[in-house]
Order: sequence, then structure tokens, then C-alpha cells
Amino acid sequence: MTLLSLRNIQKHFGAVRAVDGIDLDIRENEFFALLGASGSGKTTLLRMLAGFEAPTGGEILLDGQEISGVPPNKRPVNLMFQSYALFPHMSVAQNIAYGLEMERLPRAEIKTRVDEILEVIQLGDLAKRKPDQLSGGQRQRVALARALVKRPRLLLLDEPLGALDKKLRGEMQLELKRIQDEFGITFIIVTHDQEEALVMADRIAILRDGKLLQCGTPHEIYEHPESRFAADFIGVMNFLPVEQRDGKLLTASGDVITAADALDTGQRGVAAVRPERLHLGDAQGENRLTGKVSALAYHGLDLQLHLMSPAAPDPVMVRLTAGEAETRRLAIGEEVTVSWAAKDTRIFAV
Amino acid sequence: MTDRKPLYLMSPALAWLTAFMVVPCLLILALAFFRRGIYGGIEYTFTLENIALVFDPLYAGVFLKSAGIAGLSALIAVIVGYASAYAIAAAPARRQPVLLFFAVLPFWSNYLVRTYAWIVLLNREGLIASMAHWLGYDGELPKLLYTESAVVVGLVYNYLPFVILACYAPLSRLNPEIAEASRDLGGSGWTTFRRVTLPMTFPGVATGFVFVFVLSIGNFVTPALLGGGQFQMIGNLVYAQFLTANDWPFGAALSMFLIAIMMGLLTLQTFATERASGTRPEAT
Amino acid sequence: MRTQANPRLMLMILSAVFAFLYIPISVLVGLSFNEGGLPTAWTGFSTKWYGELARNSDVMGAAFNTLIVALVSTVLATILGTLLAIGVEIRRRKGRFIETIIFAPMIIPDIVLAIALLSFFSLLDVTLGLHTVILSHVVFNLAFVCSVVRARLKTFDWSVVEASADLGASTPVTLWRIVLPVMLPAIIAGALLAFTLSVDEFIIAFFTAGAGRDSITLPMQIFAMIRFGVTPEINALATIVMAVSVIALALSQRLNRGGLPGQ
Repeated sequence: MTLLSLRNIQKHFGAVRAVDGIDLDIRENEFFALLGASGSGKTTLLRMLAGFEAPTGGEILLDGQEISGVPPNKRPVNLMFQSYALFPHMSVAQNIAYGLEMERLPRAEIKTRVDEILEVIQLGDLAKRKPDQLSGGQRQRVALARALVKRPRLLLLDEPLGALDKKLRGEMQLELKRIQDEFGITFIIVTHDQEEALVMADRIAILRDGKLLQCGTPHEIYEHPESRFAADFIGVMNFLPVEQRDGKLLTASGDVITAADALDTGQRGVAAVRPERLHLGDAQGENRLTGKVSALAYHGLDLQLHLMSPAAPDPVMVRLTAGEAETRRLAIGEEVTVSWAAKDTRIFAV
Repeated sequence: MTDRKPLYLMSPALAWLTAFMVVPCLLILALAFFRRGIYGGIEYTFTLENIALVFDPLYAGVFLKSAGIAGLSALIAVIVGYASAYAIAAAPARRQPVLLFFAVLPFWSNYLVRTYAWIVLLNREGLIASMAHWLGYDGELPKLLYTESAVVVGLVYNYLPFVILACYAPLSRLNPEIAEASRDLGGSGWTTFRRVTLPMTFPGVATGFVFVFVLSIGNFVTPALLGGGQFQMIGNLVYAQFLTANDWPFGAALSMFLIAIMMGLLTLQTFATERASGTRPEAT
Repeated sequence: MRTQANPRLMLMILSAVFAFLYIPISVLVGLSFNEGGLPTAWTGFSTKWYGELARNSDVMGAAFNTLIVALVSTVLATILGTLLAIGVEIRRRKGRFIETIIFAPMIIPDIVLAIALLSFFSLLDVTLGLHTVILSHVVFNLAFVCSVVRARLKTFDWSVVEASADLGASTPVTLWRIVLPVMLPAIIAGALLAFTLSVDEFIIAFFTAGAGRDSITLPMQIFAMIRFGVTPEINALATIVMAVSVIALALSQRLNRGGLPGQ
């Protein structure tokens, strides 16, 4: 069931179109990620959902109701701020209780709900501490609890893991998933970290220059990027320059590329293929390419291989599983042929 | 560098401050405990009479009046000053330094001149009277100059820039996301101000209040010029002991009392600030 | 601070406060150029009251005294305050006692310092005069110079001092050739500030100048004149005094982009 609908949302700051006509439907209980580089309009979009910016045009429908004119304190939407924005003069418990006090709930109920959520975020013993006596990870949990305790229809998270170190980030990604599952609240997370979006989100929207580039599940976006930008932005991708000639796609080295898509005759483009879709030997698919090994790097379970090939200006990256690497020992400078299937090949015009 | 070299650099100034500030201040502290000589002057015998005299009901009236006027001035200055500082902090970032500069500029011009400006406005042939006349008002105007209100206006006028400065500092440091968080959690604009913005910026308010209060209660220029000498502040009382009544020990006791008020309020303020900002570790 | 503040309300507050702050002063300045000298009617632009002022020997004498007090106390305070600031900033240990002593002159009520100095000088049987005013003014002036210079030193890159030492310079040479030139704008800014403070200071001068006519400073003269009421001459004098403060302060501000002390 659709919870939130954006209809041609616009936000202009003077001549700058920060958000330029976005349509999106977000479902109930979904973990949704808005992914983009800085300046893509993702934060502005989030602030419009929270009510801190008014759209220049378009509609925001929550449960079918237009909410553009509703002030932030009247929306069943809560935001977890990037800086956490904890109230420094209030204790952890007071911070969390604040939003409930605004709803004028009875004292006893506020206390119960605060205690409950402190349990969930495992900060029960720190309830009396002030924010400046907490670690970064603890502050992050308090900020989450403060927004979550209000049981909003929609929880917005602005770069929620940005301030944490790498190890903690990994833990918190799973923690956020668990909490979202437990509460059954729709999460919209803003991030510039594609890995974070892939790990956590049910669906991802890629934004660029205020426009929606593609929206889909992590799998769809990873396997079927609709633009070169999306292909490049998510995961690692090899790009081989190609040109459509005589009804064929030819690389710079003259090899023929077979793919489901095609270009117009004479048009230039790129053939895109993921490193893990490339396999050693010339019989693993319709397409093949030969190059010299320029670098080898072990990453625990897999081996990363860089091939210098006349077909591409940049080294072609190949990811071999440990098993594959076992079957044939490779050395730097060795000439290697790799092949891949037509169905794993995407063609984008330049 | 070693720790000794800085001492060579600091010692001339520290010596100066010791000779012409620390020692004189200790001297009047001591003076407060000596007896007044019969013909003025000082008799070097220990007494608590001067201290007792400070709390004599005879002076209770002066103290209450002083405290009332100083308190009212400080309150008005803090309200107006906070509102101005808030408005400056809400202005576009590149305009804020200019606004602040012009808000504080009068503070650095002569105190007497600023007070005199109000005499020009308020006196019987002054600008306000002339305007009223020009507008066709022929009746008797209420007395403006030489009133308590004139003194309060003068004190607020003189110390307002200081309060603006004191309140602007914490307001400008405020992370805007914190006020937004309160709005997001359901707080109205007023609730957000009362429960988040004001408590977080309270140190500035308290500093402003303490300084206006202490400087007002110890003032003798404004009551003399705008109050026409009709009532006394503690400052006037101190002035009188040294320059007319020649009772220096009592004057010294009074000024110690002034310092005690200031220290007391500042301690209170520090305590309140620590509570507000949460820097004091809570027992957990 | 970006706020949800109502821009119209904010504009109203600012307009009201700036009107309150500047109308009284502006009226004063305006009247000083009024030919008739009275607030009742504008009778034409004239600088005649400034001329009157120049012929008033009491005012000119007091102005001269103030100039001496301000210049001498500024020079002394600038030297002492600058050395103090450098000393405090390069010291590793931050002493609470020293901080208090430096801060105290800026917050002690003038009247307390004034009577303390008066008692001190009379106990030592020092004859009061301009020299005692100068000694007293240095106390608060050096504290202000110190605070301005310290603010600049906070952003000073101390590695250049180490570089200078590394290249063979002694500490005094480093101070003179490296620290001083870099700090000069802040030092001059502090000196200008001290100068205006000294020119404007009334209460301490009032108590420490003694009774003689020849040690009256300009603010003391103004106080005496104001008590007789409003005259066009005072308007002119007040305008000049304000102009001196504003010019010195604007210069100070320009030199020291750090802003006013306390800011």
C-alpha cells in the first residue's frame, strides 16, 4: 500500500533547481534510500518531507492527504538529523521524552514509552547522562530513539551513519534494519554511500541534479542500471568504448560485442560489464577480451585482477572467486583471455 | 620555550596590576574594618561598625530603591537586548557582523555624552517638548527629565549594546538543526523557544543581566544627571562618603558590598550556566 | 543561525532598536550645527558653536590634559599589555590566578577601582594630578590591549617562532623580527581602543585627578558643563568627542578584522 506519493515535486532557490520534478511512490513499511552525490537534491527533498522547506511546485501526499502546507511540528513525520541535533541541556531520557510531551501524553505513559525505547536501543543505564557525555554511536542511538518513540508514519534519516567510523557503521546498518523491522515504520534514508544503500534499502532512488535517475530494488539497480551514471555510481563497472558499425558493436580493438541492446548505426557508446561477470578462458560467453595482467590483489575470498587491454583506456577489472583463481595461477605481465555472457552486457550511448 | 621566559614578559604588566589594582582593592577591603576619625580621616582600630552600618535600616530604603531601579533597568535591557540579538542572529550571515558592529558602536562612545543626549531629548525645552508643542499640544507636559523613568531609560540606553553582545554570542553559535529537531518532534515555535533556544542561550542572558544590574546599582552619573539628584543609588552613597561626607571606611564598606553583590550574582550565574549546558557530570 | 523567525517581525525589532540607539545621538549632532542652537527651531546650518568652543579656554585646557593622559597611558598600556599577552600565550601552563588578574580590570565597577586608587594614593601621600590619572588609566587600558592582542595570538602560527629559533635567532630577536611585525595590526588596534577608552573615561579620572583646575580632563569638564543644563556649546563638544571615539574605533576595527573585544 502506498504511504507517500510525490507528484512532480519542485524546489527552486532563485535560479537553482535543487529538486526538479520528482515523482515517487513509497510503500508502507518500506526501507527506502535516496542516493546521490552532494548537490543532487536529496537533502532538500528530505527537508521538504519533514516540512522545513516548502516545495516550489508539486504535491506531497501522505496517506493520500496533501501535507505541503502542514508545519513540521504537525506532521506525523520525524527526522533524524545528520548532526543528531540532540538538546545539550537535557538528559538522554529528557531528549527522548520531549516529543511525547509535545503530544501532551500522560506522564506515566511517557515514562513507559521512554523506558521501552531505551531498552530497544540498549541505553537504559545512560538515561540520566547529558549528550556530551556519550560516544558518537550512543548519540546516534539517542537521536534515533527520540524520533522513533513518537511512532511516526514516516521516519526520515539524514546521513544517519555519516559521523560514525567504519566498523561501527557496519554494525549500525544491521541495527537499523532490525529496528525498522521491529517497529514496522517506513524509513527514508538519505545517503551518498552506495554500499550503505545496497545493504539496507528495500528500494533505492538515485538522484542527480535534482532529477530522479532510476528507482528500484538494489538488485534491479545493480543488475539493470538504466544509465551510464547509475551503472558507474553503484558498485564497480567496466566500460569498454564501442561503436555501431555494419550492424555490429565493435570495440577499439575490433572485437565484436554481443548484447541485448544496440546503438544507432555510427553511434558511439560503451559496453558495461561487472567485474564478477568476467571469467577466465574464452568459452564462458559470447564476448571475449584479451589483455596483460597489470595488477593482482587478494581480497580474502576473491582475487581482483587488472587487465590492460587495447579494448579499453582504463584497466579492465576482473573479480575471480578463490576457486577460479586456484585452477590457474596468474602472474603479472601474463596474457589472459576473459569472456562473459551477452545477457550480462549493457550498452549505453555516450 | 621554557616557562621562565614568559614570566619576564608578563612581570611588568603583572607588577602594574598588582600595585595599582590588587593592592588598592585590598586596601579598601581593610579600610572597611577601620574606624572613622573624628574629623574625617581614618583611625586604625578594628571595628565591624561600617559593615553593620551597611545593613542599618537607615540605608535599607536606598538599597531597595537602587536594587529596584537597577533590577528594572537590567530586566528591560535583557528583554530588548535578547530580542535584538535574536533578530541579528536570524539575519543573513554576511549582514550579521555589520549589524552587530552598529549595535555595539554607541557603547564605545562617551558615557556622559550618551547620557547628555537624553537630557537634550527630555528637558522642558527639549526636543520631545518642542515636538509636542509643534504638534499643537499646549497643555502641561508630564515631567520627563529628573524622574526615575528617565534614569531607567538612561541606564537601559547605555548598557543595551553590552547585552546585545552578550546574548548574540550563544545565539550565533546555536546549531539551527537543534531548533528544527524540536519543531520536528512536535514543538510549536513558542515551545521551541521556551524549552530549547532560551535554555541553551541562558548564559548570555544571565551575563547581560548581572552586568547591567551591578553597573546600574553602582552608578552615580546617571542618577545625578537624569535623576536630578532626587534619589540615591549605592554609587551615589559611595561617592558622597569619599567626596563630601568624608567617611572613607563606610564608603569602603559600601563598595565591598557592591563587589559582594556582583560576585554573588556571578557565582549564581556560573551555577545556572553549568546546569543549563550540562557540563556538570551527573551522578550515574 | 537559520531560524523559522518571522522576517517582518525581525525587521521591526531591528528598526526599533537602531532607532532607539541612534536617534538621541543624531539629534545631538544635528543640534550642534543649528545656528540658533535651540531644539525649538532650525535656523540654519552653522559651525559657529564649534568656533565658540575653540575660544573657551577651560574646554581647550581640559582637552589638552585629556590628550596627554590618553597618549601617555596608551603608550604605557600598549607596551605592557602586548608583552603580557605574548607571555600569557606562550606559557604552557594556564594559571587561573593570572587569568583573573588580567580579566578583573574589565569587570570591576569603575567606582570601586576609583575609590580604591584614591585611598591608595592618599595613604601613600601622593599628590593627585594628571600623573595619578595616567597611572590609573594604564590599569584598564593594558587589560584591553592584552585581550585584543591575545585574540590575534590565538590564530598565530607558532611554528614560525620555532623556525626562527632553528635558524639561529635568539628569543628577543625572534620577538622583534617575527612576532612583532605579524602582530602589529592587532597591537595598533589595541592601542586605538585604549586611546578611546582613556579619552572617554570619567569616573576614575574624577576621583584620582585631585581638586586642582589644572588637572581637569575633558570628561570632567563635560560633566561640570552638563550639570548647568543644555547649551549649544556642549552639543558641539559632545559631537567632537563622539567623532573621535568613532574614528578611532573604526580604524581599530579595520586593522583588527577580529571585531570588537568581547565579540
